[in-house]
Amino acid sequence: MRRLASAAVFSLPLIALVVLWAIVVRAFEVNPRLFPDVLSVGRAAIESINDGSLLGHVAASMWRVLVGTVLALILAIPMGIAMGVSPGVSSFFTPVFRFFSVLAGIAWIPIATLWFGYGFGAIVFVIFNAVFFVVTYNTLLGVASIPMPLRHAAASLGAGPWQMVTQVLLPGALPNIVTGVRTGLGFAWRGLIAAEMIATNVGLGYMLFVARDFYRTEVIVFGMIVIGVLWLLIDRLLLVPLERATMERWGTVRAA
Amino acid sequence: MNAALRLWNLRVWGPYMRATARWPALRSIVPFLPLLALWWAVAAAEVFPRAFFPGPAEVVGAFFTLTYKGILPEYLFDSVTRLAVGAAVGVALGIPLGLLVGLNRGAHTALWPILLFFQAIGDIAWLPILLIWFGFGLTTMTFVIVYTVLFPIVLNTVLGVRSIPIDLHRAARSLGASPARVVWEVVLPGSLPNIVTGLRNGLGYGWRALIAAEIIVGTSGIGFLMFDARRAGSVVEIMLGMIVLGILWYIVDAWVLAPIERATGQRWGMVQRQ
Repeated sequence: MRRLASAAVFSLPLIALVVLWAIVVRAFEVNPRLFPDVLSVGRAAIESINDGSLLGHVAASMWRVLVGTVLALILAIPMGIAMGVSPGVSSFFTPVFRFFSVLAGIAWIPIATLWFGYGFGAIVFVIFNAVFFVVTYNTLLGVASIPMPLRHAAASLGAGPWQMVTQVLLPGALPNIVTGVRTGLGFAWRGLIAAEMIATNVGLGYMLFVARDFYRTEVIVFGMIVIGVLWLLIDRLLLVPLERATMERWGTVRAA
Repeated sequence: MNAALRLWNLRVWGPYMRATARWPALRSIVPFLPLLALWWAVAAAEVFPRAFFPGPAEVVGAFFTLTYKGILPEYLFDSVTRLAVGAAVGVALGIPLGLLVGLNRGAHTALWPILLFFQAIGDIAWLPILLIWFGFGLTTMTFVIVYTVLFPIVLNTVLGVRSIPIDLHRAARSLGASPARVVWEVVLPGSLPNIVTGLRNGLGYGWRALIAAEIIVGTSGIGFLMFDARRAGSVVEIMLGMIVLGILWYIVDAWVLAPIERATGQRWGMVQRQ
């Protein structure tokens, strides 16, 4: 019951905003080519759901994000741990990964489209990039932040290299890794939208950009809402709980 | 193996550590040398066609050509100005808004969900409709950057304001401070570490948004340079653009923003830990 009430309090301002939008557009007779009214956005929504085009765009976008992210994680976490094991190596490579995590994402779009051509490959590459460097950098920092006494203790209790990785290094770095995944996905999501505007013929970014050509603002606004809601769902239902859970479970290791 | 390792430690690692202790700037330059060497070797071996994967020498050459022609400095200046203007407007709007939402319960209830939602839409998704409203031009780009910088600052300011213990407000009030003075001397310094973190995140996102805006809107700037080069198929200039972007942001982030963040954290961060 209290959750329901707080959900109501949370959604009330958003509903008020929609009402305000409806009134303002109606009262000032805003040109629909500049800003649509609520009803036409709703019509655009129903239309694109019915003809299945929305599902196609969302599925294409999500599939790209999934492929890019999974590939990046498979490579980034082992690499970050391997480099983080030795303090010398990790402090040596920190600036390089910092440099590349700065570039991560959108800055790679021009070269990605040249290397892979317009389409799936280039977009997955951009997402891979955004996630890979940020996660590697964070894993590196996470492993480096594990207190040396803990690793010595594990080693003197007879932990082999493999046990060291699975029992000490990976759990110890996990909070950092998850934070890295969240940041990286944030960059990847923006990169996805930008890349889809430039380099493809299906996907949410493309949906927006094509609508612009025809001044169909109702499709643009609907697309923006879809993008916002999708990211809120990914962030609040997947990433934030994941981050909180790892913090609670393994976060104490860093405080030691 | 062991002897080699000892020799490595003695002859290479030891002197390197001593040198970086004396000149800390070396620590952020030397790690790039092996990477440069690798890049040079891969390019020279022509693993990939030369046109798709040029070597460092060509990129340096392009740097000098474009600097000599005056294109690179001009575009760089354009990009940095846009970012600076956007950041200034974002800070000027973001901090007061953050203070309002953080201090006033009603404002928090009313605005917090809206802020979260608009943050989630993300800067780049605004580009198509902004292009309809303002056309291909400076207004569009400034809007995108302000939008991007604004939200991290507002959200972090709110977090900072709310992390200040209520006791501190009460103490200041009972010592006779007016509400305005409480804001100025308690709330603002107390949330400063969070505000700076927000600014750093916001500029990080704003930087990327700027590149995307320049690619899509395309009149000038480093992003435009890169995309123009892409149209001409010149990988050299794309790589040059990426390196310039990386170096510039690295300098801004590592030598300006991170030290400020650390300094405010040390100076005012204590307030949070209670």
